[in-house]
Amino acid sequence: MTDFDHAAIDEILHSRVRLAIVAFLAGAKTADFTAVRDATKTTDGNASIHLRKLEDAGYLAMRKRFVARKPQTLYSLTERGRKALLDYVAHLEALLPPSGGEPSEPEGNQ
Amino acid sequence: MIEDQAREDIAFIRRAIEEGGAYATASSPDMLVWGIAVAIGYLGTYGFIRGWSPVAPRALWAACIGLPWLFSLRRVTSRFAGGEVTMHGPMAQALAMLWLGCGIFLTTLGIATILAGEPRSGWFGAVVAGVMGIGFFASAWLARLPWLRWVGIAWWLGELALFALRHRVEALPLAAALMLLLLAGPGYLLLRRRGSRAGA
Repeated sequence: MTDFDHAAIDEILHSRVRLAIVAFLAGAKTADFTAVRDATKTTDGNASIHLRKLEDAGYLAMRKRFVARKPQTLYSLTERGRKALLDYVAHLEALLPPSGGEPSEPEGNQ
Repeated sequence: MIEDQAREDIAFIRRAIEEGGAYATASSPDMLVWGIAVAIGYLGTYGFIRGWSPVAPRALWAACIGLPWLFSLRRVTSRFAGGEVTMHGPMAQALAMLWLGCGIFLTTLGIATILAGEPRSGWFGAVVAGVMGIGFFASAWLARLPWLRWVGIAWWLGELALFALRHRVEALPLAAALMLLLLAGPGYLLLRRRGSRAGA
């Protein structure tokens, strides 16, 4: 049995945009659509698609409300999403050498 | 190399969490509370000078500065009371410390000017506006909210206007308007973007 299980990598979080959304919400706790879109530097359409996928996977909770008669969509990370992010980071860390991956000596040093 | 890719991904995740934390810090209700409280202080002082309000400015300012401080320091008091402590990354901490530093500077200078009888010189409002400009300008980068830099620039324009009016009582309602528009206003917008569960 190997230390790293390739098949265990979370396909949902393997996309950079979805990973950025989940990580951003892990820090922000709650944010509206515009904040998520801006943080991930993506378009409205692209952000919507990725948010929907994360919501379908149960990683995000979405709620809508009206502020000054305008609809606002708020997103927050679910417990499942938080666990998925932690597992994903754990898988990435499993790829690093056990020493913690100290940088090699620069050439010409020593 | 797969190891390099893994390191890059971990750094990417860390940065995104940092940005989220800084966003949350910038979206706390403190701006809204301070903006309204200080605006009340300016308007109350203006009302007292005009003879519309019986409340002495010193008592008014003690409340308008003391109460927001109690609100802003609620996390410290909750830590002493054994409540939940939220830890943010360096960017969010830098943001919080920037505003804490601005607050301490303005409060100590404000108390010193009141004790020295300097408020009538009128320069303090311009100093407040200048410091607010610095705070917003730096926050725009720390919280990755570029529009906040325009708030900082507007504060600096307000600083010039307040300095020009420093010997006139009209500087007080102008300062109050700046507090409402450029501190409470952005605070409300950020809070609204983040939703009702803000303030963590």
